[in-house]
Amino acid sequence: MAELTYREAVAAAIAQEMRRDENVVFLGEDVADAGGVFKTTVGLLDEFGPLRVRDTPISEQAIVGAAMGAAMTGLRPIAEIMFSDFFAVCWDIITNQIAKSRYMTNGQVALPLVIRTANGGGVRFGAQHSQSLENWAMMVPGLKVVAPSTPADIKGLLAAAIRDPDPVIFFEQKSLYGNKGEVPEGEHVDELGIAKIVRPGDDVTILALAAMVPRALEAAEILAAEDGIGANVIDVRSLVPLDTKTILAEVSRTGRVVTVEENPRLCGWGAELSSIISEECFYDLDMPIVRITTPHVPLPAADDLEDHAIPSVSRIVETIRREVD
Amino acid sequence: MPQLGETVSEGTLTIWHKSVGDEVTANEVLFEIGTDKVEMEVPAPTSGVLKEIRVDAGETVGVGTILAVIDDGSAPAAAETPAAKVAPAAAPAQPQRQSAPSRDKSLKLSPVVRKLLAENNLQPGQITGTGRDGRIKRGDVLAFLKGTPAAPAARPTPASSGDGRTVVPFNRRRQMTAEHMVRSKATSAHVLQAVEVDFSNVDAARKRAGSKWKAKEGFSLSYLPFIAKAVCDAIAEFPKINAHVEGENLVAFDAVNLAIAVDLDFEGLVAPVVRDAGSMAVVDLARAINDIAARARRDALGPDDFQGATYTISNNGTFGTLITAPIINQPQVAILSTDAVIKKPVAVVVDGTDAVAVRPVGVLAQSFDHRAIDGAYSAAFLRRLKDIIETREWAAAVP
Repeated sequence: MAELTYREAVAAAIAQEMRRDENVVFLGEDVADAGGVFKTTVGLLDEFGPLRVRDTPISEQAIVGAAMGAAMTGLRPIAEIMFSDFFAVCWDIITNQIAKSRYMTNGQVALPLVIRTANGGGVRFGAQHSQSLENWAMMVPGLKVVAPSTPADIKGLLAAAIRDPDPVIFFEQKSLYGNKGEVPEGEHVDELGIAKIVRPGDDVTILALAAMVPRALEAAEILAAEDGIGANVIDVRSLVPLDTKTILAEVSRTGRVVTVEENPRLCGWGAELSSIISEECFYDLDMPIVRITTPHVPLPAADDLEDHAIPSVSRIVETIRREVD
Repeated sequence: MPQLGETVSEGTLTIWHKSVGDEVTANEVLFEIGTDKVEMEVPAPTSGVLKEIRVDAGETVGVGTILAVIDDGSAPAAAETPAAKVAPAAAPAQPQRQSAPSRDKSLKLSPVVRKLLAENNLQPGQITGTGRDGRIKRGDVLAFLKGTPAAPAARPTPASSGDGRTVVPFNRRRQMTAEHMVRSKATSAHVLQAVEVDFSNVDAARKRAGSKWKAKEGFSLSYLPFIAKAVCDAIAEFPKINAHVEGENLVAFDAVNLAIAVDLDFEGLVAPVVRDAGSMAVVDLARAINDIAARARRDALGPDDFQGATYTISNNGTFGTLITAPIINQPQVAILSTDAVIKKPVAVVVDGTDAVAVRPVGVLAQSFDHRAIDGAYSAAFLRRLKDIIETREWAAAVP
């Protein structure tokens, strides 16, 4: 094991896969020379050269379009969209072309590509550079959607995404880039579609994703110490495919479930999970399913307001304390 | 207009036997009424003067309507009460709905709590809710089922208060028994019937098994397995005895899952189940009953040992009791008490001549739920039970 930051784990995963497979290429804005605006891809240009690690013009459509074309011709491209907010300008290519190609060609054209992006708020970037858009991607048939919370998961799940035969949208949470964690050395590949129980407990299951996972864990410790409530924290990790097996088993076991979501409330990923849970294990529920989310508003840039909007540790604690009673 | 039957909402006054101004005596026939089910003479409830007739012969009126007024000479304000007594204004009873936990919308029960209550045949009132506003949580039901209070409330132990009184707080088993007994009495219309049974043939079988049985099996062969076998065989002919009441339905079962009430050395009562007792021979029943009783006494029964009972036998005979009126094990239809079998002089017929003989005799008493079955059915079942015990060659059933 080595201690890496969340951002270093990104470069480690890409490097691991580029060394393994020469068809893996990487492109994006300021990713090569500058090593990425979030310094997530430092060193890749030096090791793999300008043919495989490419800076692009400031045109997100060009990036995803080029990635799609490269994938069609047999490469395994990794495209970076600097801020996930810019998916909005790529949506035709991603949803109408990339997501549907395997289906519309009856499997003749597969697109083994990854679109990485810095997602989410918490770093005062304002409404157009802070959105949590995992739910946008989740609702498109044909896309896989992954959002890790730890450096180890970044390395393992990004490697798995690169090896996946179909398009994967890989959400890195930009406020987590500085977080450190133990990462397995050598080749490390995880599996998509497996949720992880990161803190076992018997009283309430907390389903969390990305930046909400460390907050849920912190809240769980407070609930255990101050209220004697045993919170069972699950890092969902992958929205598509979704590990319903683990989630439903844990919800049934604890009888109570709370989602902690950074995306805005309406049609957030937790709404879909709530729907699945109430259909599949309604008779095991001991309280209403509770969703803790960012409200249905554009995210403010002001420190206090942004902190107030995104689910905080204290909001998680207070909500669970109130609802689990 | 009196209530003549549960489902009758009106009646026709057919004949007046008295006219206004006549003297009437209590219990003298005052008038006759008819419904589509019965004709009935109705006596005067009190003595006095028939002051007023409000409903003429031939009229049909609703139950509870005042038909006449008798002046019994008491206070004027009471003048109408005699008539009111003749015709108690009892509204037709509303059909009793089964209070399944899922029906009561005023109780905020979560889905899992509703499921657990239904699965374990519990009512919400049995469980102490520890949630907000007393809401019952899953843990409360699980704790109740485990026999431990959900809240870690300090359980007081028996304490002498120094004033000559010893306070023994009900433990969880006592609380559960108390609740179940009161609920059963409030739920079922208990009727007791008993038959006196000659156990000579059973005694012959027990003598035959004798000490060999005890040496081999490690326990004595009592009357109980024979009675249990006879109960199962009688039930085969009277299936409504082996049943539950569910709401307004009687649900009869093919298999006899026989609950046996076991006393825990005066420390409580449990009723574990011998499954599919009807398929078992007497010796197997003896072993099965001994097994659950032994496990009950060393607290080694699991939840499965209590599930699905369809009929219950309570054995009180070891203490020499003559007859016991048992309380039905809900939601079953009937329960049998076996009391002491003792030698008694009984009248028998020997070669066509009446004679007195000494025979082992005991009373079998059954409480049944009159909501579900009637006395004749229960009595016929008991007669069959008695016949089987008295006439079967039981000795052939033991080694």
